Amino acid sequence: MKKRGKGIGATFYGTGYGNGFPDVSKAVVEIDKDGKVSIYSCATEVGQGAKTIMMQIAGEVLGLGVNDINFISEDTSLTQDSGTAAASRQTYNTGNAIKLAAESMKNKLLNLAKDYLKLNATLGLEMEDHKIYLKMEPEKCVYFNQLVEKENIKVSESFTAQSTQMDEETGQGSPYWPYTFNCYGVEVEVDTETGIVEVIKGVCAQDVGRAINPELVEGQIDGGFAMGLGYAIMEDLNCVNGKIHNNKFSKYLIPTALDMIDLQKIIVEDPESTAPFGAKGIGEPVMTAVTPAILNAVYDAIGVRFYEIPITPDKVLKAINDSLREGE
Amino acid sequence: MFRINFTINNKGYTVDVDEALRLVDLLRDKFQLTGTKEGCAEGECGACTVIMDGRTVQSCLVMAFQADGSNITTIEGLEREDGLHPIQRAFLDAGAVQCGFCTPGMVLSSKALLDKNSNPSREEIREGLSGNLCRCTGYNKIVDAVALASKYLKEEESDGASENSRK
Amino acid sequence: MEPLKIVGNREIRVDGMAKVTGKAIYPQDIFLENALYGYTVRSTKVHAKIEVDIKKAEEIEGVVKILTHKDVTGMNAHGVLFKDQEVFCSQKVRRIGDPIAFVIAKSQKVAKEASKMVEIKYTELPAVFDPVEAMKEDAPIIHDTTNIRYYYKCRKGNVEEAFKKCDVIVEREYKTSMVEHAFLQTESGVSYVDKEGVINVCAATQYPHFDQLEVAEGLGVNKEQVRIINPAVGGAFGGREDITLQIHLALGAYLLKKPIRMTYSREESFYAHAKRHPIVMKYKTGADKNGKLIAMEATLIGDTGAYASWAINVMRKAGVHATGPYEIQNVAIDSYSVYTNNPYCGAMRGFGATQVPVASEQQMDIIAEKLGISPIEIRLRNCFKVGSKTATGQLLNESVPLKKCIEEVQNKLF
Repeated sequence: MKKRGKGIGATFYGTGYGNGFPDVSKAVVEIDKDGKVSIYSCATEVGQGAKTIMMQIAGEVLGLGVNDINFISEDTSLTQDSGTAAASRQTYNTGNAIKLAAESMKNKLLNLAKDYLKLNATLGLEMEDHKIYLKMEPEKCVYFNQLVEKENIKVSESFTAQSTQMDEETGQGSPYWPYTFNCYGVEVEVDTETGIVEVIKGVCAQDVGRAINPELVEGQIDGGFAMGLGYAIMEDLNCVNGKIHNNKFSKYLIPTALDMIDLQKIIVEDPESTAPFGAKGIGEPVMTAVTPAILNAVYDAIGVRFYEIPITPDKVLKAINDSLREGE
Repeated sequence: MFRINFTINNKGYTVDVDEALRLVDLLRDKFQLTGTKEGCAEGECGACTVIMDGRTVQSCLVMAFQADGSNITTIEGLEREDGLHPIQRAFLDAGAVQCGFCTPGMVLSSKALLDKNSNPSREEIREGLSGNLCRCTGYNKIVDAVALASKYLKEEESDGASENSRK
Repeated sequence: MEPLKIVGNREIRVDGMAKVTGKAIYPQDIFLENALYGYTVRSTKVHAKIEVDIKKAEEIEGVVKILTHKDVTGMNAHGVLFKDQEVFCSQKVRRIGDPIAFVIAKSQKVAKEASKMVEIKYTELPAVFDPVEAMKEDAPIIHDTTNIRYYYKCRKGNVEEAFKKCDVIVEREYKTSMVEHAFLQTESGVSYVDKEGVINVCAATQYPHFDQLEVAEGLGVNKEQVRIINPAVGGAFGGREDITLQIHLALGAYLLKKPIRMTYSREESFYAHAKRHPIVMKYKTGADKNGKLIAMEATLIGDTGAYASWAINVMRKAGVHATGPYEIQNVAIDSYSVYTNNPYCGAMRGFGATQVPVASEQQMDIIAEKLGISPIEIRLRNCFKVGSKTATGQLLNESVPLKKCIEEVQNKLF
């Protein structure tokens, strides 16, 4: 028999290294004699979209498109430390550092443009497509390359997140910032004869502060959901006495395209004032609510609660049979 | 040693290969076609997918000598003179790429699927991609990309047809 | 506020073009002329004293050098927080997969063959695999002193008194599993010394500057003498935070002045990097008859396996997030990370905050059912909002749209 049930999970996630440990990102913006803009910052692209996010942040400030900026992030000899691509911290931390550096560069360029165009103030100057012009008189215009004299213009900024160390006896303090929130709900179908749990519907409401790039946010939600699904019902290293028995993909099963479903992804925006354009980190939060939502839905479907994961078909079947026996 | 003749991305080659050499090594090590990735060496992950005589194969499971007489397409063979193949375009437009390591295999599996079925349902797309693992995307945007590619290919076909009729 | 021009747009990812065309370069796609090939010899025992003899292996034709702990020119230790992992095990192994030697040969085939000829004499030691057992006084000691690597304690209000006022109390024990990142690109890298004498390591990592530091320490050179190049990374999810092959590759290139390359097999990759901490979670949660949470007590025991890696931060994060996103006035949390002889655990997506909701969110549903209210309702009655304080006393002063998230799911799912 196939039984259906619904369940939800609500979670929060604190960004960053935490507990008062200095969480620092650095960024350098440079403009060369051809007017080309380069940004140096060692924020690793692991697939999450760091490069694109950083270029959207810098591009917004400097009036450029994501492909107009040369982003150097892969080499320790060319970049300064921007911390690890972890703890959902790159958008918040390095995003802030890049925004600060871009703003500092913008300020510098506007002042140079003011002098170049012989204006009284930088007021009313607009920056777009490698040029700066006066809005009330667009003919008063200068290109980036005209502002660079002998040496490249370079600015460097750094951002340090705020957190405090917790008291050792009471654990009281402010260990992380910002926090990201979510609620995910699923509907499952449990086959009581095979023990197979199938997720048939998923609704993911994810706080992001502000979505720098909704396409990438959705991609994170899909990927986090798949990982949470694997965690709940599939993935098993079968580690016995320190030996991993399932150490290849024919044994360690992760979700395939057939195990995943289309999700209703709801991006909830509530900009965070200390974040770049309000954007919070979401790489990890997208995973945390999935597994409990599935476990709660399975209970709703078959009335059996699972206290251990993963709930592979053999375990589900055994639990169903045990509960039937208890009922007798 | 075996001497084999085969075609890669529309170019013919004759090479001598060791009998223990796998197709994935031949493509990557000898021909530097590193767009073909290796993820598991047991045919489970699909990162090494190439198209061989119209069908997808896991090049980690095919011996190089078995490629004798065959016609192979790798990711490097998809691009056209005027730019991306519509499937590649669709992967970009639909946001189907994250870390990118599964992407070449995914694109080729999508091509094999769309060559056979130009208008697949979402379920058929999922089925067609079920031999390719992806740990980043949760597959949904890849499914979107294949659906979009199907649309792009049809548009291209109808554009081609109308151009021909004008001639 | 001025309208934004490109923030908020569905910009196509800037690294996408290289990836859809197969042109993106991952470490295994780098071929250097005359590169030697490296292969790691790893422990097959969980806990043992070792004696290593490389003589026979060295004699195999095509073997250039075999590195052991004796060849480490700097500090034979690394680790993101505690330097408790050895570059090559010197006295004993603490888990299956511990690196013991590194065979450098003219081909992959020879390196692999020769690795089988490295003789390792194991004198087995008592081992422990259950973190609860490992906390006991008579448990086998895996490092120097106690197996308890870290303890986080959180106390707010008065839990004992508060439980007396509860109308419903739910006490349950939960257990999560050890899992794997399963990024598609296995660890791979190349190393070489350039003409300025800088040791270059090209490998996929989450944190190039920290790798630079650890490689420099392992080699005993200045940080400036080491350059980490991080090409395309084939997924990470926390699994590329600890050192795997970076120091081995760097040391080989540094000593031999020749380029070296290597790629882990999938099976080796499973052992090479950290796993997600399995956590035993004992929960006691109490609420009044209206479903308002009053008290919560939790004991979290995280198995960090043979090494600490990020255990401290993971179990701290687990502890801080143990309540779930709810206001509770009386909280007592004890969170431990414990050494065992299991594969070592460290960072993985969610980092402790993924494990605790398996317990806390099921507790919520169990309480709701006992009180006859819906899972949505109990969450709405307790959820964080602007002005709430967390269990650590932190004020959430802005951007707390949790209620909105719950209501969205309520509207779309039920």
